[in-house]
Amino acid sequence: MDTEVKKIVVENLSYTYPLSKIKALDNVSFSIFPGESVGIIGRNGAGKSTLCLALTGLVPSFFGGKRSGRVLIDGTDVLDIPKEKLVRKIGLVLQNPFSQISGAKMTVFEEVAFGLENVGLERDEILEKVEKILRRLDLWSKRDQNPFELSGGQLQRLAIASVLALEPEILVLDEPTSQLDPQGTTEVFEVLSELKKMGITIILVEHKFEKLVEHVDKLIFLHEGKLIGFSTPEEIFSMREIDEYNVGEPIYTSVCKKLNARKPNGKYPVHFEEAVEVLKGALKRHGTNG
Amino acid sequence: MAKSSRLTTMIIVLIPVAVGINYAGKFFAEALKLPLWLDSIGTVLAAMLAGPIVGGISGAINNIIYGLTAGPVSFIYALTSIGIGVTAGLLYKAKMFENAFRALISGLIIAIVATVISVPINVIFWEGQTGNVWGDALFAFLRSKNVGIWLASFFDELVVDLVDKVLTVFIAYGIFRALPKSLIYNFRQEQ
Amino acid sequence: MKTVSLYVDKDTFVHKLEPVTKLWYAFTSVILSFIFPSIWMGLLFLSISVFLSLVARVLKNMVGFVSAVLVVSLTMLVIQGMFYKENATLVFTIGDLKFYKEGLVHATLLIIRIVNMITAFGLLILTTRPSDMVTNLVQKGLSPKLGYILSSVLQIIPQMLSAASTIIDAQRSRGLETEGNFSQKLKAFFALIGPLVLSSLVEARERAVAIEVRGFGATKRPTFVKLIPETRTDRFVKFIMKFVLVIAVVWRVTLWILK
Repeated sequence: MDTEVKKIVVENLSYTYPLSKIKALDNVSFSIFPGESVGIIGRNGAGKSTLCLALTGLVPSFFGGKRSGRVLIDGTDVLDIPKEKLVRKIGLVLQNPFSQISGAKMTVFEEVAFGLENVGLERDEILEKVEKILRRLDLWSKRDQNPFELSGGQLQRLAIASVLALEPEILVLDEPTSQLDPQGTTEVFEVLSELKKMGITIILVEHKFEKLVEHVDKLIFLHEGKLIGFSTPEEIFSMREIDEYNVGEPIYTSVCKKLNARKPNGKYPVHFEEAVEVLKGALKRHGTNG
Repeated sequence: MAKSSRLTTMIIVLIPVAVGINYAGKFFAEALKLPLWLDSIGTVLAAMLAGPIVGGISGAINNIIYGLTAGPVSFIYALTSIGIGVTAGLLYKAKMFENAFRALISGLIIAIVATVISVPINVIFWEGQTGNVWGDALFAFLRSKNVGIWLASFFDELVVDLVDKVLTVFIAYGIFRALPKSLIYNFRQEQ
Repeated sequence: MKTVSLYVDKDTFVHKLEPVTKLWYAFTSVILSFIFPSIWMGLLFLSISVFLSLVARVLKNMVGFVSAVLVVSLTMLVIQGMFYKENATLVFTIGDLKFYKEGLVHATLLIIRIVNMITAFGLLILTTRPSDMVTNLVQKGLSPKLGYILSSVLQIIPQMLSAASTIIDAQRSRGLETEGNFSQKLKAFFALIGPLVLSSLVEARERAVAIEVRGFGATKRPTFVKLIPETRTDRFVKFIMKFVLVIAVVWRVTLWILK
């Protein structure tokens, strides 16, 4: 296995939280290439958040517990990468916009600079990088505002900006829009499109499946800690386990499944346009019968 | 990332929250019109979760912030808050919070410690008074009967502190018991 | 979301001084008032502080601070006037109550010392942004972790208070009994603070993760984006304070030796 070309390699990863007897992750293995966008789906308790934390090394180093197997980034296990290098390789954004602000900075600008201050960069470099990321994420106009005055969507953009300031090549996002309104959700997904253009490797846990499939190349499907599938969205959503485990899917996929309307390759469509095409075909067929 | 780094970070985020809980306690006590301060619950909780040193630091920071937000007088009593935090942490380590009865005893001990620490401060700055109406009335009465400054100040302070601190500790105990073990675990060394 | 600081935002000479300079002033005036317990020393620093308050245009706020100790000061005058152990010279009587000169003088000294401390530190508090004070201290060598704690406390408190406010409204509308006897109120208190503690501890854990992921604690010497300038005036004032302090200590020790 050429681990140098692959960005992330997860090998036989198993993990149990402290005080727990059940495996949160059970022998998970997969690889991700640089620049890929991968989504993670599964029911509650499937291990999605745990996997996110394992990719950053926070599980087990922050949460304790027992890990077996390896998580390699650019060929080295995350647990062997020193903190100041690790935060510049992989960033993590979580659900709750409010608990991700450091709380110690009075302005948006300083908040974004926080991470760079922590790793000890030169002041001029910091000023430059902060301005760059603020402009990119359309937060420059808010740079002197207090972070606590921002809306949910803006805060989440700030959280992303704060992490991106460190210029990681990988960004992991765990349900970044679950606490946001539609406006906020749109803002975050716009940012993700930007990031994809920038060539950043993205790993995204997200329940808004319709939006998810528009932004990822592959899906990781977890259930009770085990890897059930790792493939394209339409492959995954066509698996019988999706229905069996009640995971959920894009709404148009549900409609197609109900009408047994498949694409020529036998899979159910997961994108809107494709679904429309497939359904047109199906309606034509039903039309001639009824 | 070393284990000690995790612990330090958890402690560093715990301390401001402890001070915030102190403020919230005071807020609720006022809103409910309770004749008590109840403004050290966070300090005691921090001590139970993370030990006497963290409890002491929480107490110190608490009074520093009080000083910055309510007036410099609070700076002086930082020593009392530190005493509360350290004592609570030590008592917890000595298993004095294992059940309600022991928690009550701990409350009494902490009340006495807080009182004893405050007395010299009272004597130095206010010649023994506390600024509390009832306490000072008792103080004046005792002084008029020729009771020494230190003793009079002790009783003055006790009037102010006894019920308040015992209840504070007991409430902290109650809250602590209701916390999920996994959360408590986060603030400890690995078993 | 404002912080809970007492900072008054004006553009004066005092405001522009480095926070550490003002801290030095405050400490020097307090220490001196203890080394030399005389009314004149107290009045000297008091007048300097009042003058500086005028310059900083925060006199009104300063009066607010001092009035907090008004009641205690009055009771001290009363209690010391009657019961001070070295009372000897009767000054006046009110009915059966006798007031003596030594006690009144002693109380006055104490009051001046306290007011002195309040005005000196008050000056610092009223003319310095807390976040600037923390940044300044960290630049001078305070542990960045301690700096983080101090900075975040100031923002966490209004957060918690507003959460507390929301909780109390929510619980009231669910029928929480907030009136009644002592034990009912105590039950209500517990029902209010319990959930708040739980949610804030959980949020604290999330915040810990968030700052870890942003490299918190990665190096011992982080950079500072915000710079607090130290001017010649700052250096001069600090020098004077240190000088005065040294002289005072030497003087006092000498007096003590000569006794």
